[in-house]
Amino acid sequence: MTSASGTWSADKIELGHDEGIAAGPVRAAGSLAGATRRRSWLSRHARALTVALLLVVVLSPFLWLVQLAFRPAADIFDDSLLFTPTLDGFISLLQGNFPKSFGNSLLVSTLSTCFSLLIGVPAAYALTRWNFKGRDRIALWILVTRMAPPIAFTIPFFLAYQYLGLQDTVVGLAIVYLTFNLAIVIWLMQTFFEAVPATLEEAAWIDGCGIWQAFWRVSLPLTAPGLAATAVLCFIFSWNDFFYALILTRTNAITAPVAIVNFLQYEGWEWTKIAASGTLVMFPVVVFTVLVRKYLVRGLTAGGVKD
Amino acid sequence: MAHALSADGWQGERRRAFLAGLSPALAVLLLITLVPAAALLVTSFTPLQLTDPSGTFRFDDPLVNYRQLLHDGRFLASIAVQLKLSASSVLLQLAAGLGLALLLNGKSRVLEGARTVFLIPMVLPPIVVALIWKIMYTPDVSPLHRGLEALGWPVRSLIANPDTALWAISLADTWQWFPFTMLMVLASLQMIPDDPIEAATLEGASRWQLFRHIVLPYIRPVLVVCALFRLIDSFKAFPLIYVLTNGGPGSVTEVTNFYGFIQAFNFSYWGYASAIATVMLVGVFLLSWLVGRLGWSDHDKR
Repeated sequence: MTSASGTWSADKIELGHDEGIAAGPVRAAGSLAGATRRRSWLSRHARALTVALLLVVVLSPFLWLVQLAFRPAADIFDDSLLFTPTLDGFISLLQGNFPKSFGNSLLVSTLSTCFSLLIGVPAAYALTRWNFKGRDRIALWILVTRMAPPIAFTIPFFLAYQYLGLQDTVVGLAIVYLTFNLAIVIWLMQTFFEAVPATLEEAAWIDGCGIWQAFWRVSLPLTAPGLAATAVLCFIFSWNDFFYALILTRTNAITAPVAIVNFLQYEGWEWTKIAASGTLVMFPVVVFTVLVRKYLVRGLTAGGVKD
Repeated sequence: MAHALSADGWQGERRRAFLAGLSPALAVLLLITLVPAAALLVTSFTPLQLTDPSGTFRFDDPLVNYRQLLHDGRFLASIAVQLKLSASSVLLQLAAGLGLALLLNGKSRVLEGARTVFLIPMVLPPIVVALIWKIMYTPDVSPLHRGLEALGWPVRSLIANPDTALWAISLADTWQWFPFTMLMVLASLQMIPDDPIEAATLEGASRWQLFRHIVLPYIRPVLVVCALFRLIDSFKAFPLIYVLTNGGPGSVTEVTNFYGFIQAFNFSYWGYASAIATVMLVGVFLLSWLVGRLGWSDHDKR
């Protein structure tokens, strides 16, 4: 288990060796030896092969959606995997209201991410460096807000927004997203600030910096990658939300996930178009995932693994 | 003396500075979490609904909603459905996640790449996951259904069949969330020291014995935390049910969350829906408390 990398390079050597024999003139060097070699090749690669097989099986539903998006509408019920890809689905999306809802999604997610970083990061810093009574209790409260079922917040927000005139507005939705984003920022940024040695800040204080000057000049630059990852995570969580957007928007501030459901409900069986919208909505998320995997893992398991 | 005073002044300044940093976030959190929670509780004691807006502050019979809940067969059934869905999908996720984590634990590039790719279902927008499975369960466009049909074995859509609809959702939910358990288990596998495994290997322990007696005890706390986290999150499952079955056929896939949604936003019985949400909130808090007790104290002891 621990020497997997060693096994792997040995596998490669073995592979080259095998091919050499197959190409060589002494191929019939004994079918028995060949069989054992083949079996050992199989058993050595068993893990990689299983992984590859599982990848294909597990991700096939996902891949099927993507290929539907590029399929010509006429071929949609065709079994063949060979078809001329077309962008018809995406083009027909451009002509409807989808670009607007996509823009709304971008706007809401960006707004909410900025809000939560703006108030969450100083709070996380204060919670990390300031040991006061009730600190743990506040940290726990913040974590618990992440656990609460959205419906518990949605009913009061829905009723209040009707009076406040925030129903179906981008700002209103961005505020609701703070209910989960603020918790993420405070929780995650604490772990990043903890990694900054306190002596660096103390040195800055001695040089005459105020608390927040030291924070701005010393601690924040040091946690820049963590900050970026937190921002990405907030963005993804807002981007992915469906429940709040479904209830708190109607037409004006509708987001892309809600637009997809509207396609499903009102535009019947235009699968190419529907699949294209799904592909577009998941695209930024998948790109981000691959880019910031390491930090993402930390955020997704936040609160689960205490590190 | 002067020095002590200045140090005290510095401490005071520090405290003020930190307070200034912390208070905006706390004020906002108070406003967007505690105030709504309180409002929810208050609403749950009133008969507020769309056709009777005067019910907002009527508390003549505060427990009416809760009494009604006890006699609401649809609500009680929704709890049973919720438990079936949560238990089955959490168990499946744990099994799949644990299996994959054991398979993918290693240092080769292929394994690392696979670890990233396997994350995809979890980060996808839930609505896209729902869409993916809507396609999988729609005979016209599903590769599954077409494949079976080609074999001369046509199958009814799983989500249209009352006997299988809930399990179909459970499967989709498992597909979406197994990476969470996989991640957590992988993280804890990497913290297992090599020595006991090497020692046991030298003693001739089989793979199963290694897993059973060395690996499993190490990762058990993480598995418990995973199960509780996923259990809590499973109460929020919404997009899958909304898109795949809309609670049907009949009400076989109507979980408590979904029933609350229907009461609040289809029927506009806000008082009653608030009572449902309050019950869910209490349940979630109890489970969170369990997480704190079981999961973390275990970590701390180590």
